[in-house]
Parts: sequence; structure tokens; C-alpha cells
Amino acid sequence: MFKKLIAASTAKSPWIYHINTGSCNGCDIELVAVLTPRYDAERFGFKLAGTPRHADIVVVSGPITSQSKARLLRTLEQVPKPFCVVSLGSCPRSGNVFKGSYSVEGPLEKYVHVDVSVAGCTPKPEAVIEGLYTAAQILKEKRKAMAGKKEVAES
Amino acid sequence: MTVFIQILLILFHVLVFPGFLFVFVCGLLLAGIDRKILARMQKRVGPPLLQPFYDFFKLMGKETIIPDAANKAVYRIAPIAGLASLVVTMNFIPVFSFSAMSFSADIIVIIYLLTIPAVALIVGGSASGSPFAGVGISREMVTMISYELPLILILLAVAKKAGGAELCFSLSGIVEWQQSTYLGIAHWSLIPAALAMLLVIPAEVGTQPFDTAEAETEICEGPLIEYSGAPLGVFKLNTAIKMFIMTSLFTCLFLGGIDTGIVALNALILFAIDAGLTILCMTFIHAVTARLKIEHLFKFYWTIVSALALISLILVWIGL
Repeated sequence: MFKKLIAASTAKSPWIYHINTGSCNGCDIELVAVLTPRYDAERFGFKLAGTPRHADIVVVSGPITSQSKARLLRTLEQVPKPFCVVSLGSCPRSGNVFKGSYSVEGPLEKYVHVDVSVAGCTPKPEAVIEGLYTAAQILKEKRKAMAGKKEVAES
Repeated sequence: MTVFIQILLILFHVLVFPGFLFVFVCGLLLAGIDRKILARMQKRVGPPLLQPFYDFFKLMGKETIIPDAANKAVYRIAPIAGLASLVVTMNFIPVFSFSAMSFSADIIVIIYLLTIPAVALIVGGSASGSPFAGVGISREMVTMISYELPLILILLAVAKKAGGAELCFSLSGIVEWQQSTYLGIAHWSLIPAALAMLLVIPAEVGTQPFDTAEAETEICEGPLIEYSGAPLGVFKLNTAIKMFIMTSLFTCLFLGGIDTGIVALNALILFAIDAGLTILCMTFIHAVTARLKIEHLFKFYWTIVSALALISLILVWIGL
């Protein structure tokens, strides 16, 4: 019973941690716009967490510069499982207009498994909400898989 | 046999009513009402009413990371200690005429028990070994010192008013006194104390203008920064339960004269009054104010709020 309850709750209360890896701030503004009264992502339970330890969804924006790469990897290591990674905008997907620059070490897929990728420069808030909502559903599946694994290990 | 039944009764009081299960449901529901009303005030749809339950159960399912720098035992025990003391506190607070544990001086016990959750937060934060937590716990300590003085003055004023010549330090005694005369808030000398108590509640719970210790936008939730998974869930639960306990304490001190004779109905009325109080003294203030600096918070409590409580105490002492 508790396992079902936890899995259902996991999809309903995803807390977001946002990390900027050299983004132009456009996507960051759109992500914050999602939480404003106009789009109000809190009705799905989304909340901006202050620290990676509280996060369920890590949102990465920006083309991953040489300076931010180490910090990104360190942050991702600190997030408790199960968690999802969402890439926000075109930059972490392909490098966008910064592709080929000496200081860009993207795309994000080289370093971590990306669960949901929201395209656009910048993506509309509606698209961001949809991406985050999809990530929340994936989170639920991950939690179910995690609980199943524990059972196997115990038996 | 009677001893056995008595043990069962105590277990029932601690675990079900008015203990863990009761405060768990009521506390989280109050937190949900708070978030929903706040969202409506900001013209948002807001999260579902059961959102705090979802948050709690989600956190139960997350991995618990204990940092290398942490003191592992203290780090794990701190949230549980806070929860346990809150559950025991609720046993001392009468649901109008029903009181699970009642002694002649339970106000003194409550003053001590109410400090334990804050101390648990301080101890847990300092055990996590993060510099952000260090800043957070120093602020939490200052917040504690700020609201303790007015809280004790308020309790003294009510105890003197209820007891007459002798101080009445029993909460059920205070409720009986209100039932025999009229509500505590109807005595005009206690109105400043009631106002002060309304301002103490948000600081004790740690909601918006007085949440300097857990400022998530500047020090990343302070003492909670390293917590994840179940211990974090228990700390969030503690905050929600504190909401319920502090509003219940207000109800018991100033609005305690209601008695329908049925315990379940009494509990429902208590919850309804608590919800109203939560909206009045936490949601409204949260919606219209910004976070205070720690020195402003300290000054506010030791001047205005303490003065209100002191006025009440002096009025009561000279026999008005």
C-alpha cells in the first residue's frame, strides 16, 4: 500500500533544482515564468528547491561551458535518487549558436542520461510545463523500478 | 489487568488521538489550507489541498544521503526527537474539555517541550556540517530567543488571570475557568496578550516574514540544506504539526470555552478554529510581507510584541 502511495506521490510533488551552465538567462527567465501566477506550475506540485539535496528534477540550461562542467557533474552527484534530468532550451541539446566554441563542452548527453529535452530558443512556458510534467511521470516509473530492485535485493 | 488497559490507553493517546495520527492529519491539512489560500490570494489556482501529504510521502521514498562531514547518529535522531516532543506536547493541550495528560503545571512542561523541535533543528543543522546550516542555526537561535520572552509573558498573564490569587499553570484549569466565566479573549485585559500570541505563532512555526532561519532564497533553507529523503520529510512534518499545535494552544488559552460533550465534534471544532487562525496569522501575513532581517525580527519581538504581552501582564496583575 505504502509503495503505491509513495509512487503516486512522487509524480505529484516534483521539486525542481535549476542549474545554469552558461545559459544566456533567457531559458532561466522562462523557467521562473512557469512558476508565476499566470502559468502557476504549483498546481501540479512543482516547487523550486534551493539545494540539490531536495531536488527531484534537475533542470539544466546553457551549453555547458568548461568552467561550469565540473560544477554540473558535482551537483548531479549530490541529488538523491530517484531523480530526472531535464535539458531546457536548445543549448544543452546541441550547443545552439555557441557550438564549436573553444569553451563549450556540450552536449549534455555526453555526461548524464537526459530524461526529457525541451527544445526551443527559448521554449515557451507551456512547453516547459509539459516537459516538466512528463519528467514527473518518468520519476514515478523510476521510483517503481527502485522499489522493485530493493525487493529483489532483500529476497 | 487495569494496568494493561492503562498502558493501552496511553499508547492510544500517544499514537492515535490526540497523538501522532491526529496531529499528522490535522497538521498537514492545515499546511495544505495555508498553501491553497495563499495561492488564491496571489490569483493562482494553487496546489491541491493534499499537497503536503504528497510531499511527505514522496520524501519517504527518496534516498537519504548522509554527508561525510556529518555526525551520523545526531543527524538521524534530531528530526525524530523533534517529532516525538511535538506528539507529546499535543497530549498536554486539551481538546476543549478533553485532555489526555493533565497535571497541575502542564504549561511549564509545554514551554520546555515546545523548545525541543527548534533545538532539534539547531542540533540537526549543526550535525550536517554545512556552512549554510551554520548561518541558519545561528539565526534559528536568535529567532528562538526573540519569541520565547513574549510567549512566557503571555502564558504568565493568562495563568494569573485564570488563577486569581494563585497562578493557574494547568491548561485544563484555564479551559475550565473560561467555561465557568467567559472566553479568555472576552476579558479585555487579555486582548493585548492575544494579539501578541497571534504574532508569536508565525515565528514559532517559521512562516514567511519570520522564516529568516530557513530563508530558501538566500541560505538555501539553512539548517535543512544537507537533509534529504525521510529525515527532511520528518522536519517538514514537524513544521506542519507546529502550525497545528501553536494554533491549538491559542484556542485553548483564549477561545477555550466551547464544549459540546462529544470528543470527536470538539476535535472538529478545534480544527475549524485552527484553520481560521492559520489563515489569519500565517497566510495573511505571508501574503503581504517580505522576509525580515534577523536583527529586525529580534527588535520587533523584544519591543512591540513583548510590550503587548507586558501590558496584559501588568493589567492582570493590578487586578483588572
